[in-house]
Amino acid sequence: MASILLDRVTVDFPIYNAKKRSLKSELIRRTVGGHIEAIDDNHVSVMALRDVSLTLHDGDRLGLIGHNGAGKSTLLRVLSGVYEPPIGRAVIDGRVSSLTDMMMGMDAEATGYENILLRSVFLGLSVKQAQANIAEIEDFTELGNFLKLPMRTYSTGMMVRLAFAISTAVTPEILIMDELVGAGDAAFIDKATARLNGLLDRTRILILASHNLELLRRLCNKAALMEEGRLRMIGPVDEVLAVYSGHA
Amino acid sequence: MTELDIGRTASLDRGPMPKPPTMAQHLRAAWVDVSIGLIDWRVWLLLGMNDIRQRYRRSRLGQFWITLAMATTIVSLGLLYAFLLHQPLEQYLPYLGTSFVVWGLLSGIVLDACSVFIASEGFLRQVPMPKSVFVHRMLVRNVVTFLHNLIIVPPLFIIFGIPPSWTWLAALAGLVLFLLNGIWIGLFLGTICARFRDMPQTMASVMQIAYFLTPVMWQRTLLPPKYRHMAELNPFQAFLSIVRDPLLGQMPPIISWEVAGVVTIVGFAVTAIFFSRFRARIIYWL
Repeated sequence: MASILLDRVTVDFPIYNAKKRSLKSELIRRTVGGHIEAIDDNHVSVMALRDVSLTLHDGDRLGLIGHNGAGKSTLLRVLSGVYEPPIGRAVIDGRVSSLTDMMMGMDAEATGYENILLRSVFLGLSVKQAQANIAEIEDFTELGNFLKLPMRTYSTGMMVRLAFAISTAVTPEILIMDELVGAGDAAFIDKATARLNGLLDRTRILILASHNLELLRRLCNKAALMEEGRLRMIGPVDEVLAVYSGHA
Repeated sequence: MTELDIGRTASLDRGPMPKPPTMAQHLRAAWVDVSIGLIDWRVWLLLGMNDIRQRYRRSRLGQFWITLAMATTIVSLGLLYAFLLHQPLEQYLPYLGTSFVVWGLLSGIVLDACSVFIASEGFLRQVPMPKSVFVHRMLVRNVVTFLHNLIIVPPLFIIFGIPPSWTWLAALAGLVLFLLNGIWIGLFLGTICARFRDMPQTMASVMQIAYFLTPVMWQRTLLPPKYRHMAELNPFQAFLSIVRDPLLGQMPPIISWEVAGVVTIVGFAVTAIFFSRFRARIIYWL
């Protein structure tokens, strides 16, 4: 059983550096979404999430939509447990894997094998679990002896293939993705799709932020629409997407 | 399912505002962070070792540059200061050598502690890992460096005829106590430095001054007797002497153990409260 409960979560970022006045005007001119407010004379804060409540249970596949700066990334980070909300409550029950950056933790100077361990650790695996995945990753990537070489000797395609293989070798209870990951390699695409689908099936709760509505309709059963840091609407994927499309 | 007017309604099914966490909850969360961090020892060992490997990859001498750099410093400064301070070389060089190696660990940990969270920003923003993992990783990195530097000590002892001694066990105990302190130093300085970005600079200056005020290059016995106590109350001196003195075959003064013990207790007590209170905020400061 995995579950997520957000109860009136508000997230704001204090900004301490730079002069308040100039910074404030600067930000107001530039930002697309999040609100800037002065807490007091000395502090400026950017409000990224406002009073967001939601619950997710096993079987929920939540698509997250909204314009740039609407608070999608911040919400993903709250859902993954990275941001503990200063106001409100977030209870995340289940092992989370966050595939927001597929290469995170990898080191170009390290060998393929070393990178399997390094990357896995940042996906929340123990070193033992990571070692157990090695054979399967060898098999999937078909990189053979290249795995013994430093990753900087790889072509971009090979690098992506390795990162993809490691990132999808996990079996998390809660899977968080910012746009769908993939291994671009044309010859590889079927194999990669099958593997990704396997991962999506195994995971109990999926949260996927994407601008690709077709994809969301296919993979998700629920959707949440973010607007200016607020959860504007959450419900069945078709209804929410309809509102979003009509609106946009 | 109704569409909400964003101007007025903030969220669906709003209940009463949840209470902010109590201090007890903060303490429990911090304890979970630190204990899970310790249990994941293979993770921080892997990351710490990779830090060292990364630094010296593709260099022929590799991590033995650490050893070589330290050996060069010890020999050149040793010759100069033995002359300046009118010390017999056969006593001064082993003293300075062990002093430098141990001081390297001390100051390395304090300075590195300042950047534990700042330097891990990329990871901390992506994955909910225990923050203490990055402190342990920093300690691994520094212990590995220390072990490479320690290679210099046996040749010095052989050349200048310092015999093996049972007091080396006391040095080991002193080392363990210092590394234990490394945990709170990392959590405490790491958190403060994440919030106040002038702190790493400040600490660099503090350590520079501490280096001269602490008997690293000079011996405590050079001080007039009435000032010796002041040197002994210096916490850097305390930790330095509980590792260095027994390596050289002398028992450190009792006061050093006492000061080190007090620093350990006070350090952990203050950090327990401080880190618990601000642990969840660190990410917003990065």
